[in-house]
Amino acid sequence: MAKPFQFFTEQGIVYYSGYKADNLKALLTGLRGVPSSSIFYHLYHSLLRRHFTTTDYMNDFAQWVWGVLWQKTLGEKLASFDPLEFTRLRDARARLIEIVDAYVGETEYFLRVSEEQAFYFLCMKSFVYPLGVQASSLPELMQALRVVSPQSIFYHLIESRLRLREPTNDLSDWLKTQLDMPDLAATINTFSPYEYNLEELRNKIIAVVHDAIQ
Amino acid sequence: MMPSSNNKHHLEDYAPIVTSGVIREIEELARLLGPVRIVHVNSTKEGGGVAEILGWFIPIIEELGMKVDWEVITGEKDFFTITKKFHNALHGQPEEFTEEMFAAYLDNVGKNAPKIHEDADFVVIHDPQPAAMIGEYPDRKNRWAWRCHIDLSEADLRVWGFLRPFVERYDGAVFHLPQYTKNLMAPQFIVPPAIDPLAPKNEKLSEEEVSSTLHKLGVANDKRIILQVARFDRLKGPFGAIEAFRLVRRWYDCRLILAGGSATDDPESQAVLAEVQDMAGDDPDIHILNLPPDSHREINALQRAATVVVQNSRREGFGLTVTEAMWKAKPVVGTDIGGIRHQIIHGVSGFLTHSVEGLAYRIRQLFGNPGMAKRFGQQAREYVRNNLLVPHHIRRWLLVFHSLRRANGDLITLPPHEITE
Repeated sequence: MAKPFQFFTEQGIVYYSGYKADNLKALLTGLRGVPSSSIFYHLYHSLLRRHFTTTDYMNDFAQWVWGVLWQKTLGEKLASFDPLEFTRLRDARARLIEIVDAYVGETEYFLRVSEEQAFYFLCMKSFVYPLGVQASSLPELMQALRVVSPQSIFYHLIESRLRLREPTNDLSDWLKTQLDMPDLAATINTFSPYEYNLEELRNKIIAVVHDAIQ
Repeated sequence: MMPSSNNKHHLEDYAPIVTSGVIREIEELARLLGPVRIVHVNSTKEGGGVAEILGWFIPIIEELGMKVDWEVITGEKDFFTITKKFHNALHGQPEEFTEEMFAAYLDNVGKNAPKIHEDADFVVIHDPQPAAMIGEYPDRKNRWAWRCHIDLSEADLRVWGFLRPFVERYDGAVFHLPQYTKNLMAPQFIVPPAIDPLAPKNEKLSEEEVSSTLHKLGVANDKRIILQVARFDRLKGPFGAIEAFRLVRRWYDCRLILAGGSATDDPESQAVLAEVQDMAGDDPDIHILNLPPDSHREINALQRAATVVVQNSRREGFGLTVTEAMWKAKPVVGTDIGGIRHQIIHGVSGFLTHSVEGLAYRIRQLFGNPGMAKRFGQQAREYVRNNLLVPHHIRRWLLVFHSLRRANGDLITLPPHEITE
């Protein structure tokens, strides 16, 4: 008997970290000093906030560097940074620092922007709780996927990589270990939020689960 | 602030509007918080944005199983004269203060602050008027939050220096935008204002009602419309909007509507209105509409009739007219300042501009590319649908209460419960 898959959600309230940056060096200082939840908020959670649209600049750091500091090269480097390659926030933070530090080292002049245009490092206090929705089979999974929120999709598809510290998500993990469906698990794990928004991701998962039932 | 609505709505009424599963999440979040008692304290039950927000906020919170008390701080006229000066000074306007004024403020707070029940779990104090009343409760057991509805980024240091020791005693402060925060030891939560999609200003209107409203207002619906909704104030940039319109009209036949209000007791707004009318001259394509404050359906119709909505403000907090236009799937061109920068995603749901010329250029771009304008409008609506409606506001406040209860740690697992399905 398969252990049921329980749908959780993650809800967060944003608070100011006390760090803000009005130039690249200050951005670097902030990246080094802020709590991990700030890296999570600006790098991962930004996907959720813009989940209805796929743009070139899905994380907040890239948006600010490109759109406010007008540092196009660094903006592109940060935009192409894929947080899903990392299963630990500290590794993602280290890579971010490496990218910005290298650019700062090559730069002679630093644009300073007004306080109003400054980058405010925000943290997120997250609360994870079960939604009271579960699935023990593929038909139940398909039904559940239709009613859960985008935050729940985000939690299971994206945030779970950090929790599991594995390059997979917990839905794929459940399909593989509990339903013995490694191919379906692998397919779902290839769906990238950089190519699809969360509603599209939801629909794509429903579609492949539907195909698997057929 | 939140547009007023005479009709109280239930949380479930928003279920068909917000994304799937959001209402269930809010109900769970409330259930996990439990039947707590919350006390709100502000300075009036009628009039003003805070009273309007509490008017719809409290019934929904009660519906979720919590008990809410709404108290007001009382005082003589002198007290509110002083707090009005506080308000202006915190907004960065020059005001004169004496030591006696600060003493009189504290004296009134000591005498007239409402009594907080010991069994209250959370106390939310709104704005500066009752801010110091936390000093009356040195042995408090409940959690207190200070909700600041004011932009403190250019706050007068004398007033802020006076209030700050009180604010530091709170368990948390709540601001609209990160730019409004101060250096405080207490956590500073960000809760942006929301709009009510079911209120008269935002509810769905038929095409017939939109047409008849425009007709009633003397605006022919025969060509592209550029709209700015804002009170007649220099900081809202009405003159720049007219300049931009004249630049656009060299290329596209269109109308400009500047819709807003001007208080009869505010000589400045009357003067600005007169100047705007003077600048518009007898141009039949410029419509200056000085509307009464309760013209919610008229504003709604104008926003729905507009081709492009602009917000040419020089200074703006979280411009609710921007959110309202976005909710109506309109592309918005706004100045790259304040809250507008947080509302519009440049090149995705609208454009951010820095000059009259830039404003005109972006309007032309949207006029010339109806497909892009439509796409921007749809993305704008989705952004609001996912972030800035009443249920999101309720959710953020429930999270603030959870956060006040659990101060430590940034990742908190709430207790699991029985599976109900």
